[in-house]
Amino acid sequence: MKRTYRMIIALCLPILLCDPVMAQHSGPYVGGFLGGNMLMTAKSSDDLGSFSLKFNPALLGSAVVGWDFEPNNPVGEGRIELEYTRRSNQLDQVKFSDGNVKGSGDVTADSLLLNCIAVFHNNTRWSPYVELGLGAARIKASDLQVTGQPLSDGSAVVFAYQLGTGVDFALTDYLSLDLGYRFFSSIPPKFTEANGRKFDMDYYTHNIVLGMRFGF
Amino acid sequence: MTKLLWPVFFVVMLLSGCGWNGTPTRENDFTPLTSIRIVADYSTIAAHTSTKLKVIGNFSGLFTRDITSQAVWSSGSPTVAGFVTASSPSRVSGLIPGTAVLTATVGSISNTFTLTVSSATITSITVTPATPSVANGLSIQFMAMGTFSGNTKQDITFDATWRSSNAAVASVGDTESNRGFAQALTVGETTISATLDGVPGSTLLTVTEPVLQSITVTPANPSILTLSTTTFTATGNYSNGTTADITSLVTWASSDSGVATITSTSNKASTLTQGTTTISATLVNASGKPVTGTATLKVTGGNLTGITISPANSTLVKNNIVRITATGSFSNGAKRDITGAVEWSVTNGTVANVTVPVSGENLAWLSAMATSPASTAITAKSGSVTPGTANLAVTTPVLQSITISPTSLDLPAGTSNRFSVTAAFNDSTAQDVTVSAEWTSNAVAKATVGNIGLAKGRVIGVVAGSATISAVYGGLTVTAPVTVSTRTIKATNGLTISGTTTIVSGNQATFTAMASYTDGTTKDVTEDTTWSIDNKYVAILADSTNQPGQVVAVNTGTAILTAKFGGVTQTVTVTVP
Repeated sequence: MKRTYRMIIALCLPILLCDPVMAQHSGPYVGGFLGGNMLMTAKSSDDLGSFSLKFNPALLGSAVVGWDFEPNNPVGEGRIELEYTRRSNQLDQVKFSDGNVKGSGDVTADSLLLNCIAVFHNNTRWSPYVELGLGAARIKASDLQVTGQPLSDGSAVVFAYQLGTGVDFALTDYLSLDLGYRFFSSIPPKFTEANGRKFDMDYYTHNIVLGMRFGF
Repeated sequence: MTKLLWPVFFVVMLLSGCGWNGTPTRENDFTPLTSIRIVADYSTIAAHTSTKLKVIGNFSGLFTRDITSQAVWSSGSPTVAGFVTASSPSRVSGLIPGTAVLTATVGSISNTFTLTVSSATITSITVTPATPSVANGLSIQFMAMGTFSGNTKQDITFDATWRSSNAAVASVGDTESNRGFAQALTVGETTISATLDGVPGSTLLTVTEPVLQSITVTPANPSILTLSTTTFTATGNYSNGTTADITSLVTWASSDSGVATITSTSNKASTLTQGTTTISATLVNASGKPVTGTATLKVTGGNLTGITISPANSTLVKNNIVRITATGSFSNGAKRDITGAVEWSVTNGTVANVTVPVSGENLAWLSAMATSPASTAITAKSGSVTPGTANLAVTTPVLQSITISPTSLDLPAGTSNRFSVTAAFNDSTAQDVTVSAEWTSNAVAKATVGNIGLAKGRVIGVVAGSATISAVYGGLTVTAPVTVSTRTIKATNGLTISGTTTIVSGNQATFTAMASYTDGTTKDVTEDTTWSIDNKYVAILADSTNQPGQVVAVNTGTAILTAKFGGVTQTVTVTVP
């Protein structure tokens, strides 16, 4: 808990100390994000029918490297960046036609996306933005179990996409704080059940992230 | 870019929501089965009867499920009770009095059930439901409840022998799969009986007239233009498999009277504005149950925003007649002839008259009736849209002369062309009096000339030869020669259709047909061609009688427009985007 407070203070302190007007950064930048994600209850289907997988919320971490376009760039004002993110959610319950039973194991997504971000600059330090990301994700089902019996253990690489919105706060000309929401999804990965059957699993997540970017 | 991104963002949010909340269809076969339980309606049955057993599986104490179909059955005393019904492996039959331990096995899990077969004898049988009535074509499942010595009761539907006293009225099943299941075959009465060990039970089954089960409304998914009409047909589907046209018996309704109206007793729907409405046909059947069939009517072509009358400001000599049209402007930018869809009126009926168009046609005539100079306003109205107006002045000058145009015609046999007559008056005005003139041909075997309505002045070449066409107006006569020749249409590319093939819904487009002859000549034969379209829900002919070659786009899709002339057929594909 103390660690969390320290982090919040560390992030907020620069806000209090910074000047009211900042020049808009352009050029390369790197950044990092931490946040929480909710993997939505997933419809899963095999040749015997459908069942659902319910997961627990979990933390996520991201690293980005990108380029800030200079003001009045003909392409538009915004950024383009490459983002790596890891999300891992624990399976909580599995629902069949017979009812809910306990599940266990993890579903982990490692994604690499190319994000295009449209930033709405104004005369304040706050700059709202929207973003669209496209790329790929490796989604791994680690030792998924139903009532202690094996369900699946495997991975799949699938097309992934992300829609996001949020707000930047310019701490300095080169340092900014980012609070955002991301909707991340992929085409359904296909896994193999312990009995050899293949099943598809929906993958939709809602994510809240807080991070910092350092420009050069 | 950002304007596009936001809608996409919110659509994805809505679609994803909070995850899947549907009903799973897959059974849990991951959790191990740990025990089973055998359930039966009766633990004691009489000899010569049977009962069905069920196996309920318990999966690790977490849930239970009926797994009867997975069980393998055995009897510890097969001479007392045995599983002898091939089509129903879980049905056990009592053979002789005694006790039998029955075993069900699923995988490696087993359990037992003790069944007693008594020596009770059947005393009576009650067949239920008692004295039912069933409509011809429908079916009913009977049940036989046996009363045994000792006053015990047992369902013996499966064990009894079933008979129908009149199998032509209703049959009743007596096999493992259908015992007691009766099928009504024709109107009448029959006794359904169930017999066990010589003891019968029965009831009277009455088969009534077939009952209406459903209604099919056709066309099921029509698309038509605003300010149009279309008719529907209701077909009743009866319990005995027969059908009947019940169009005049049903009650008609439209779910959205702003889009289209239909009166309860009429099958004709009138369209008003763009949109979709459900047309329903309802009839209460003999059982007192309302039965409804529906069709989805899509109304296209834009909403009417304005009406223009042509000619807008005209002067007509008394007794002269001209064609009058109303063109509609629509909300989607379309324009089309709506002469037949508007309500015509003349402010001063003694000055002029407008004929009411025949249903489905766009032909109206304006007649000057005043005997002295006068004027009047003409109005074309539709709904609440501002009516279209035109002014007409009727004059009474003295006729001076008449001329015919063209002065001669040269026609291939089987084609037509038109003469017109212009009258000159003493007030220095001239007027087309083609429709008011009387037309004759001196050689109808060679060439005919129309003398009614729109056909006036239209000459049709019959066979090679010559004829003189006369037009009489106001006591004056003009003549013009017609030469009819025999020409042969080219075998290849003898008929060409031209016109814009992509038409926006609601717009009217003109197509022309041109015939090419072996002598190198060509002739516009649009009026002489027979036009047709294969899909009226995509495009229609504006008025096949009075507007040859005119096509109105209806709804998105493609349709084939066919032109037939002189034994030659040509087609084009009309696209409505």
